[in-house]
Amino acid sequence: MRIAALAVALLFWAGVLPAQTMRPFTTYRQAHGESHLTARLEFAAGRLKVVPGRGADLYRMTLAYDADRFVPLSHYDAPRGAATLGVESVGGPGLRVVSRHQLEQDAAVELSPKADLGLAVSLGAVEADLDLGGLRLSDLRLEAGASRTVVRFSQPNPIRCRTADISAGAAEVSLLKLGNSRCDQIRVEGGVGRMTLDFGGAWTGSQRAELSLAVTELRLRLPRKVGVRITMDRLLTSFDHSGLVRRGNEWVTPDYDQAEHRLDLALTTAIGGVTIDWTN
Amino acid sequence: MRTARRLLLALGLWLVSAPAAHAAPCALRRAHSVIETLRAFVVQQISQTPAKPKPATLAPAPAGGPSVDLKDLSRPEAIERQVRTEVPSPGPDSRLTVPDGQARLGDFTIGSSETIPGHVLVLEGDANVYGRLLGNLVTVDGDVHVHPGGVVAGDVLALHGDVKDEGGEIDGEVRTLSAATMPAGGAAPLSPLAAAARNIAGVAGVFLTLLALGIGLVTFARPNLEVVSDTVSHSFGRAFVTGLVGQILILPTFGMLIVGLILSVAGILLLPFAVVVYVLLAILGVVGGYIAVAHAIGETYTRRRMAQGATLASPNSYRYLLVGLTGLFVLWAAWSVFGWVPVAGEFVRAAAVLVTWLMATAGLGAALLSRAGVRENFAGRIIPPEALTDEYLWATPQFGVPAVRRPESGPGARPGTRQEPGR
Repeated sequence: MRIAALAVALLFWAGVLPAQTMRPFTTYRQAHGESHLTARLEFAAGRLKVVPGRGADLYRMTLAYDADRFVPLSHYDAPRGAATLGVESVGGPGLRVVSRHQLEQDAAVELSPKADLGLAVSLGAVEADLDLGGLRLSDLRLEAGASRTVVRFSQPNPIRCRTADISAGAAEVSLLKLGNSRCDQIRVEGGVGRMTLDFGGAWTGSQRAELSLAVTELRLRLPRKVGVRITMDRLLTSFDHSGLVRRGNEWVTPDYDQAEHRLDLALTTAIGGVTIDWTN
Repeated sequence: MRTARRLLLALGLWLVSAPAAHAAPCALRRAHSVIETLRAFVVQQISQTPAKPKPATLAPAPAGGPSVDLKDLSRPEAIERQVRTEVPSPGPDSRLTVPDGQARLGDFTIGSSETIPGHVLVLEGDANVYGRLLGNLVTVDGDVHVHPGGVVAGDVLALHGDVKDEGGEIDGEVRTLSAATMPAGGAAPLSPLAAAARNIAGVAGVFLTLLALGIGLVTFARPNLEVVSDTVSHSFGRAFVTGLVGQILILPTFGMLIVGLILSVAGILLLPFAVVVYVLLAILGVVGGYIAVAHAIGETYTRRRMAQGATLASPNSYRYLLVGLTGLFVLWAAWSVFGWVPVAGEFVRAAAVLVTWLMATAGLGAALLSRAGVRENFAGRIIPPEALTDEYLWATPQFGVPAVRRPESGPGARPGTRQEPGR
């Protein structure tokens, strides 16, 4: 009888089960004439949006994070001009099982278009939309895990970008208007997934892209005004070479040698397919 | 006093929900305006925020007493935790040490001609900066206002408050950490009773579903189910290892299947069907194997009871299934009732998950070993030749072979036997 009473009392105990709690967090730094910013964005799970800033801030992040599993990252190293923003897991690095609720984390990052920007982005299970148009991007490094990532250059980059290194795991990655990026060298490593590379935009020079893909479906959107040369090392990959002519071991557009701007694509693929869409 | 407050609250709620003035007749409009005034007053009284404490400087604590270091504000949660721990209920008599700084209670203002060195912690009040602060600034349950001409040389952190940059200068980082909120669409926390009821309903639903599937299997595929069940009983270890390997290979096999179909031109057409069939087969293997394990457990238990002399009405596969599933779900039933208990609940759930995985793995392995109940090699039904004794060679002939006559004469003949003539 006593045990039954105790069981009932425990059953009616007025505690609550632990529930997921989202906490709003905001961080920013006023711009004080900085000429260079090295920004590192680390985001383990959720949705991330990056846009050019409009105000007088060097950077600004508005975040809602899962306080049970993550802590916000917000640090600025003034001597180096380096900012680290995002969220990191409470448990540190390692294998994580991400639930649907953790994906409700949301971050919006604004970066100043006035300072030269070296940007490194590390994404986990993230749906990311990075609009880098108009930013003074000097370097880009993107590591995408199991994410769906769109990187767009909606406006031309005011300065020349040295390299863009993209590394994707099991991800769907779209790089849009790469012509606006003004990156001399684009390196892409793809694991399993789908990848779209759109080389549209305002071309001011030539670009070289090295693509190393494992099991990936690649869609290339190439502007007709740009001379394109593709060298391929493929194993079990279908290749739609419409619009290209074969010249030795490479595929080129007929006007490649006379083109003002050229795009050299070195493509290494294992399994998948490569399709080309020609754009005006 | 409490009754009066309740009456006030009830009146307030009634007034809040009063109908709009447009619907009232002209003669009542004046009365309505009086009611509106009264309602606004009541609402203001109800929603009035607690008064801020009187501004005061908190004296430093003696050595070893409460202390909050504001040197590094990059971990706002840690600062918040430290403040809540060191000064759980701040008051004018509270003592708190801020290394290289000071702690304040209530609203705090730095005048335009003032320069304050070091860090400032403001508890339960706003910080208004008109002058210069050379260190970091933290407010807890209050806002930070940096007015034109105001300068904060360090970082600013507002815990449960906001930072309002009104034209001042902040050289460091600005951070605001607000109170926790439930996510949009998130479920509200459940009481233990509601959580237990929900868990019981879930477990009962899964149990009934598996029972229904099991009854279907017994009805329509009893021979196969029994072979898989016997394979579990007679070759549990082998079945478990096979199931483990099957689980490891299930995804690579799926990938190879997809790649193989993609590479072959005709196979691409079969891709959607192959994906669906593969997934269905995998589910069938796991669920069917689990049901076969339940059948094996129920059969073993029932036979033991009968061996002990118990009289059972209907010792058949349906009974085996019911008994076995009940046994397998005991842990889940325990979790559904006591899952809310902080540590023990997690432990019970872990045990239930582990046992379920073990059984499902063994069941999958048995299904694979027996080719879905077609092969009986591991079911203990086929006796290997080396296990046969010559006892089986002495079977009594049924017909066509005359029985050997016993010897009747000679020294070995039994007494009383008849001797045939001529022999």
